[in-house]
Amino acid sequence: MNKSIQQQLNILDYGLHSLWQKKGRNFCVFLIFSGVIFLLASFQFMSASLTRTAELLLVTVPDITVQQLSAGRQVPLSAKSLGKLDTVFGISSIRPRIWGYYFDESNGANYTVIGSSAPATDDLLDSLLIAGSYPQAGEQGAVVLGSAVLDNLGLGDRKSFSLFRPDLTQVALHRVGVFQQSINLLTADLMLMSLEDARDLFAMGHDEFTDLLVQVANPTEIPTIASKIADAIPGSRVVTAEQIRKTYEAVFSFRSGFGAACLLASLAAFVILAFDKGLGFSREDQQEVGILKMLGWQTGDIMRLRFYESLATAACAFGLGISLAWAHILFFDGGLFRSVFLGWSVLRPTFDIVPYIQGRDILLLFAFSALPYLAATIIPAWRASIVRADSVV
Amino acid sequence: MTIKIPQIELSEVHKFYNQGQDNEVHALKEINLQVAEGEIVCLRGPSGSGKTTLLCLMGCVFGPSSGRAAVGGQQLQRMPDEYLTRYRRETIGFIFQHFNILPELSVEQNIVLPLLPLGISPKERQQRAEPLMERFGIEHRKLFKASQISGGELQRVAIARALINNPPIILADEPTAHLDSSRSNELMDHLVTLRRDGKTIVLTSHDPLVTEHPEVTRVIDIQDGRISCGGSICS
Amino acid sequence: MRPSTILLSFLSFIILLNALLCLVNYKQLGTLKQNLPAQQLLTNTYGLSDLALSTEARYTRHPSLSDPMAPYMDHPGSIEHFPSGSFVLPTIGGSRKDHE
Repeated sequence: MNKSIQQQLNILDYGLHSLWQKKGRNFCVFLIFSGVIFLLASFQFMSASLTRTAELLLVTVPDITVQQLSAGRQVPLSAKSLGKLDTVFGISSIRPRIWGYYFDESNGANYTVIGSSAPATDDLLDSLLIAGSYPQAGEQGAVVLGSAVLDNLGLGDRKSFSLFRPDLTQVALHRVGVFQQSINLLTADLMLMSLEDARDLFAMGHDEFTDLLVQVANPTEIPTIASKIADAIPGSRVVTAEQIRKTYEAVFSFRSGFGAACLLASLAAFVILAFDKGLGFSREDQQEVGILKMLGWQTGDIMRLRFYESLATAACAFGLGISLAWAHILFFDGGLFRSVFLGWSVLRPTFDIVPYIQGRDILLLFAFSALPYLAATIIPAWRASIVRADSVV
Repeated sequence: MTIKIPQIELSEVHKFYNQGQDNEVHALKEINLQVAEGEIVCLRGPSGSGKTTLLCLMGCVFGPSSGRAAVGGQQLQRMPDEYLTRYRRETIGFIFQHFNILPELSVEQNIVLPLLPLGISPKERQQRAEPLMERFGIEHRKLFKASQISGGELQRVAIARALINNPPIILADEPTAHLDSSRSNELMDHLVTLRRDGKTIVLTSHDPLVTEHPEVTRVIDIQDGRISCGGSICS
Repeated sequence: MRPSTILLSFLSFIILLNALLCLVNYKQLGTLKQNLPAQQLLTNTYGLSDLALSTEARYTRHPSLSDPMAPYMDHPGSIEHFPSGSFVLPTIGGSRKDHE
């Protein structure tokens, strides 16, 4: 083997041996470091997976969604507003929709109710249901349920159930289909029904709806058409598909406060610990360096020795932390963070998160964890290496 | 006595610590000294007299502040630290006052320490260490931690470590200072055998057992950084 | 065995482990993409704009479509839904300025 490689290996051996001598302390540092990297990496992998899953799933959201605001709150649109869009050129289709929330008093859960007149006789869409079909035109009280709603309502095998109108009278509904559990990320809390049933449930006027889904013939025209719609319906809020996609680039990123604050704080604490550990340079350490230098070790050899020690710690901790985090997301769907993401929700859907890890995620993590650690140990390494050889005689 | 080739040759050597600063120390003054191959030379003097500084200078730990110093035929003045270190590990074997054996390492690991930065493979290190351990009777202890062996074995480990690079010059700093007389005698016997192998040996001591030892060729007295007696080979 | 050999074996093991994870991950990604066209069609047909993660408040369930005031008026006792609210940037476009 090449002499210089052998020399590096010898120094590395010696460094590992010294780490092993203080195995209790170094093992603690290693575990804490792995833990910090595990948390950091789990968070990064999870948010990256959710962001990219969202990008994949939401790429087809309607080009423009139109809502009506009044006094800063969202209020229903009427058929009259629909008529105003006749004059806007370039729209290929407009679908009114009711989008609302049903609060289940009995268990405190919120369900998302979507009322739509969309004709749903598509094999592709049917493949998303465990069994059954979508509400057909004219079929009264037909609902497709998300799997978490089905569980929460405790329906079991029963098809019929009832929900309350605002005046506490009951609406009789029956489920015609249930979404597969595998698409819970989209549909867990969903109740899909016809426009008329949704109006009935929320006691809305017969020509009212909450938003309009607009498709545009030419995608490059979307911003122009959006601003024309905003002109045509005073007080409207017009959201383009592009803006919806942009939300997800921002939502789960490090910029979103909480995660960054917690994780960076723990990382900072760890770097201080690392620095402190390096500075705790005892008489014995000093003597050891003096002896080594007297025996012919160069200043560079001593620096390399200390650097290899921290590099070995950092590399092992980084490798272990990343692997555990990956397994955590891959096999346990981010179990530790699930409750953070779910927050106070009563309805807690189970969903599969598929990690979508890119090289830049790993690089980012390396820059945020191993790099600060290595940087924090360089000054102590240098301090150790400048001990004079004759200090031991 | 025949004149031999000088292994160590110092002429007009001065050594300052913290040169040019307020706390400047003039540690060695006008040193003229020659040590021939195969000698055992003892440096004697009160503490603070500069004998350790002189030993370090001969051991290539640093060069002289002025004057000329040659060790093993190599001029030390103006030699950069890195070269000094490199030269030191080929030329000098050190035996320290408390032996300075690292207690957490095994006997064998301690002995091969000087070989690590030379890029010598573990196998070759073992091949070099084994005959030395055998010679000094510590082979059965090779896997023991240094903290687990006796004082006598410790000193043999220190000698073996000094010899691992097969250097022509052995330097020892107060090697008998903390040993009882039987241990001291044992150490001197070892040094005498090294001398017979052709090594040049310089040690510092004020132990009469060393200074009056029949095999010690010269005793050099040092006072206040000056050699007061015994500097040249022929004296 | 040399300590450096142990270290390098450990690191190789980690790399191998990661390669394995990568393989499993790739397979899972395949199943996700399997019914992707159907899910995308569903998204388009019913205008599903968000992932069903936290259902506690409008602006955490539908961050992209909630009106800008939603985070502050969902519940009289809570102006912020912690912790999920901390992940969610509640307001995006929809104002006239955004289209100009």
